[in-house]
Amino acid sequence: MNIQANNRSRQPAFPKARPEVIDETEGAGSKQSAVEDAQRALLNILEDFAAEKNSLERGQGAMVNIFDDFDAERAHMEDVHRAVLNILADFDVEKVKVGLANEQLGKEIEERKRVEEEIHRMNGELIGANKELEAFSYSVSHDLRAPVRHIHGYSKILLEDFGPSLGPEGQKFLKRIQEATVHMGQLVDDLLNLSRLGRQEVSVQITGLEALVSEVLEELHSEIGDRQIEWKIAKLPFVECDAGLMKQVFTNLLSNAIKYTRPRDHAVIEVGQSHENGLEEIFVRDNGVGFNMKYADKLFGVFQRLHRKEDFEGTGVGLATVQRIIQKHGGRVRAEAQLDKGAAFYFSLGPRDGPLATSQIEGSVEWQETK
Amino acid sequence: MAGNEIEILLVEDNPGDLELTLHALRKNNLANKIQVARDGEEALDFLFCRGEFKERNRNQAPKLVLLDLKLPKVDGIEVLRQIKRDPHTKSIPVTVLTTSKEQSDLKSCYELGVNSYIQKPVDFDKFRETVKQFSLYWLLINTPPPPR
Repeated sequence: MNIQANNRSRQPAFPKARPEVIDETEGAGSKQSAVEDAQRALLNILEDFAAEKNSLERGQGAMVNIFDDFDAERAHMEDVHRAVLNILADFDVEKVKVGLANEQLGKEIEERKRVEEEIHRMNGELIGANKELEAFSYSVSHDLRAPVRHIHGYSKILLEDFGPSLGPEGQKFLKRIQEATVHMGQLVDDLLNLSRLGRQEVSVQITGLEALVSEVLEELHSEIGDRQIEWKIAKLPFVECDAGLMKQVFTNLLSNAIKYTRPRDHAVIEVGQSHENGLEEIFVRDNGVGFNMKYADKLFGVFQRLHRKEDFEGTGVGLATVQRIIQKHGGRVRAEAQLDKGAAFYFSLGPRDGPLATSQIEGSVEWQETK
Repeated sequence: MAGNEIEILLVEDNPGDLELTLHALRKNNLANKIQVARDGEEALDFLFCRGEFKERNRNQAPKLVLLDLKLPKVDGIEVLRQIKRDPHTKSIPVTVLTTSKEQSDLKSCYELGVNSYIQKPVDFDKFRETVKQFSLYWLLINTPPPPR
């Protein structure tokens, strides 16, 4: 608001008209000056009046300004009012939205509670299932092996004590029974081992794979017999793994390599490390009978076998066990093979980008002949 | 049997296992001084001279207890626990001779102080060889604890 107040208008009405006492004794000269004084006073009055009018006019102008301003102010106020009303309307909408969101949140909380309860319930079920599995495996371990032993035992006694009266055919059948029971016993043991693996915790420590492989080869001595096998064991790294489980991996892979190179006059079995596509892997390779890669997906399944039993013995649990151990280490296992040319099994430990070895042996891979 | 000259207490409930074990012991001429208990309770009655064995001379302990684990009434682990807990019986050598080698069984048995743990092989030849070896060891090679 721009009110322009004029303070001059508050001056006394006759500022310059000072009442003067006329001295009668001064005669006509003094009378004339009195008239002049009156004239001046009148002029002063007129002047003041004009100034007062100007001031009034200015005041009026200011008033008009004030009114103008007031209008503008009112319009502004109305705008504000509308705006406030809008805001209030928006607020209502917002409130509804918040209400909805709250409701949603409430639902989500309820859902989460439900899911938590579900997880809790499923966890309980899982613990129950695990206990059941343990009880099952315990029972298999105790109860399933016993009758197998009895069949073997009695057929053995029968063969020894009554063999001659059975004749050669009867004796042969008894031997078949015995072979079958030994196989059955092996199956039960392998399966129990596999199921135990699922429940076993991996206890990781830095392990030298080279020493582990030599240890395994020593233990596989009886399987090697008097066969001539050329061993190519490369320098192998120290890795973080469960030593006991890793030993089983090498035992299964190397015993397979020994088994499937049996028809070879010159068997070659290699153990080494490869770096391809940023993936560090350990491999066991042989020049044995190999297999057709179109069956590769069956290779790691339990009880899956790619060879006839009369050609190569086995329970079909070995590679499934290898896979389970490698998976428990966070790695993966794969096979490359060619029918009648040989097979190679590669495994990594840990995630794809992670290092295989905790302490890498520097330098190029040198083959070292061990046998 | 008076139970005074018992060398082996064989605790076995399964008739097949019992027969085959006795067969194996006989083959090795070790079957003449054997007491058979068909469950855990009977084994404890024999060892602690209770029930039908209350007339037995408590000071004559067997040289070896051959203990199966899965037994009716009182199981093998509990029998082992009671043998090793009692001052009168704790020095008797106990060999667990069982079908399984479940980790939990191995752990419990060794923690309770078992002297030997043998899994029965499926192959009967191996079983006989095993019976022969441990019998010879515990009855002939090993020096038993002095009588109480």
